[in-house]
Amino acid sequence: MADALERITNLVALLMATRAPLTQEQIVFELEGQYPAGDAAQRGAFERDKALLREIGVPLESEVLSGGDAGRTAYRIDRGRYELADLHLTADEQAALQLAVAAARLADAQFGLLKLGGDRSSAPVVVANIPELPSLPALREATARRSEVSFGYRGSQRRLQPYSLLLRERFWYVIGHDVDKQEVRTYRVDRLEGDLDIGAPGAFERPEGFDPRTTFPSDPKLIGEEPAARAQVLVDEPRAAAIERELGADAVLERRPGGAIVAEVPCANLDAFRSWLFGLGEHAEVLGPPDVRADVIEWLQALAVAR
Amino acid sequence: MSVRRGPRPTGDRLRRLLVMLPWLMERGEVSVTEMCDRFELTEQELVKDLELAAMCGLPPFVDEMVDVFIDDGTVFAGVPRLFTRPLRLTAPEGFALLAAARVAMQLPGADADGALARALRKLAAVLGDDAVVVETPPPPMTTAIADAAAVGARLRISYWSPAADRRTEREITPRRVFVDSGHWYVIADDQRSGEERTFRIDRIETSELTGAVDPLREVDVPSGESWFSDDELPTATLRVPASGGWVAERYPTRSVTADGDGWLIEVTVASERWLRDLMLRLGPEARVVEPAEWALVGARAAEALLERYRTGSDGS
Repeated sequence: MADALERITNLVALLMATRAPLTQEQIVFELEGQYPAGDAAQRGAFERDKALLREIGVPLESEVLSGGDAGRTAYRIDRGRYELADLHLTADEQAALQLAVAAARLADAQFGLLKLGGDRSSAPVVVANIPELPSLPALREATARRSEVSFGYRGSQRRLQPYSLLLRERFWYVIGHDVDKQEVRTYRVDRLEGDLDIGAPGAFERPEGFDPRTTFPSDPKLIGEEPAARAQVLVDEPRAAAIERELGADAVLERRPGGAIVAEVPCANLDAFRSWLFGLGEHAEVLGPPDVRADVIEWLQALAVAR
Repeated sequence: MSVRRGPRPTGDRLRRLLVMLPWLMERGEVSVTEMCDRFELTEQELVKDLELAAMCGLPPFVDEMVDVFIDDGTVFAGVPRLFTRPLRLTAPEGFALLAAARVAMQLPGADADGALARALRKLAAVLGDDAVVVETPPPPMTTAIADAAAVGARLRISYWSPAADRRTEREITPRRVFVDSGHWYVIADDQRSGEERTFRIDRIETSELTGAVDPLREVDVPSGESWFSDDELPTATLRVPASGGWVAERYPTRSVTADGDGWLIEVTVASERWLRDLMLRLGPEARVVEPAEWALVGARAAEALLERYRTGSDGS
């Protein structure tokens, strides 16, 4: 019997060349001697071939026939859907994409680049580690096609019209209109539970100019009921320069002799604020407002007596 | 070139063949070596798959025969009407290409109107509306460090070392810059220790050229989280409340188990200072279960900090 690769390559050629869809029997007849004899073995081999084609992304179309062959399934491959559209990349665009793919080191991107005619290049001086998750490609397609998606999240089922995917720090987020909550919501993609269901395309419109970065503040200290809330923090000299770079010179309220600064720091989310503050160890002290200072002192007292 | 062992799965071979054939057809003839290199195959694997492709063809569609032969280290190909274009991009390939391009647009030196931006627009047009947004802004120092790495220039830097809790002056020769989990790092030859070290770029406070240039050297950038999980480091087991589950996502762990309404998490401890700050952030509901010597690390740190609030360095 022929190598399975030979049989499947022939199968692809046959299904692309045929005008009318072909049934399994017709296919086996055309590829004479390439499928095993015996109904069960033949069916098994054909099912495996179909699964493999779908797995590598060959758009295999099937239809249920009417008329004389009523009820039978027939198959073909639409060349228009099979073939990669020519991107008409110029040489410099090709090279730039190549460099990008080398920098990002994603295996699927490298293979995609081969299809686009690009070469492999060795990793450049600057590279990026990007978290990969199995649901991301499907979510991106749903976003592009405006398909509603449904998934489990913290134990309940959510329906979302996905507007955008955002990679921030170490996590991928999907942001969109939550159909049940009737508002824009953000979900961490690595926390989606169960199967991802994808609805029909064209199910919604994305608001003009939607930008996930503005809907979803990057600084967790800003996420709270009063986003404008600010604390005044004294930062000692060893960390002052770094904090000024982090917050910007505008956040510096006061410069003290010896290099310490008093900076204005968002504190809408007290947990995030404390986490930031304690990252500075003994080099920082909250000066105000009084309730925030009291919160930090209370936290430290509870911790100190826990011994 | 990577050489795989064992039989190659049919899916892999087909996936490659459907890219290889159109590429070959377009060129007419290519050296075996070049093809092996490009498609990451051994010569034996390449010859096997091409010979097999040459047998493909269908009695009723004779003119569709794949016409390929190999002679004296060169592959020659005829031009059938099928397999003239590669198979379209799959969802994972499309996603990965867009993500790679989006990430690269954030790298130092990327030009918002340059070739990459144009390639990205063309890619997005083919793949459907592009809604992938990547936000990993590099610290201002990154460009200078990457430039130094490109030529092997030695830098004098002032670096904030959190483990030592102090600033150090050192000379480094940057080799590779990478971004992982939102943080930017440089792998460099550290003159001070004589070893290769990884520095966080946002902790480099000042940097200047020394004028010295060292020979270029390739270094590997470890992928994923492997690079900071060090078997040599000690570990500690923490009991954290449910709200402290983020520890397991943020730091390298050896094990995570549910414990009532919270978690038992075994973390690798980069330094006692790191553990101390972590316990301060976790607060009174978390504790170090093991080892006993670290049981009070958070409480002592809180005590020391409270001292500062009592005396009030602000005079209040």
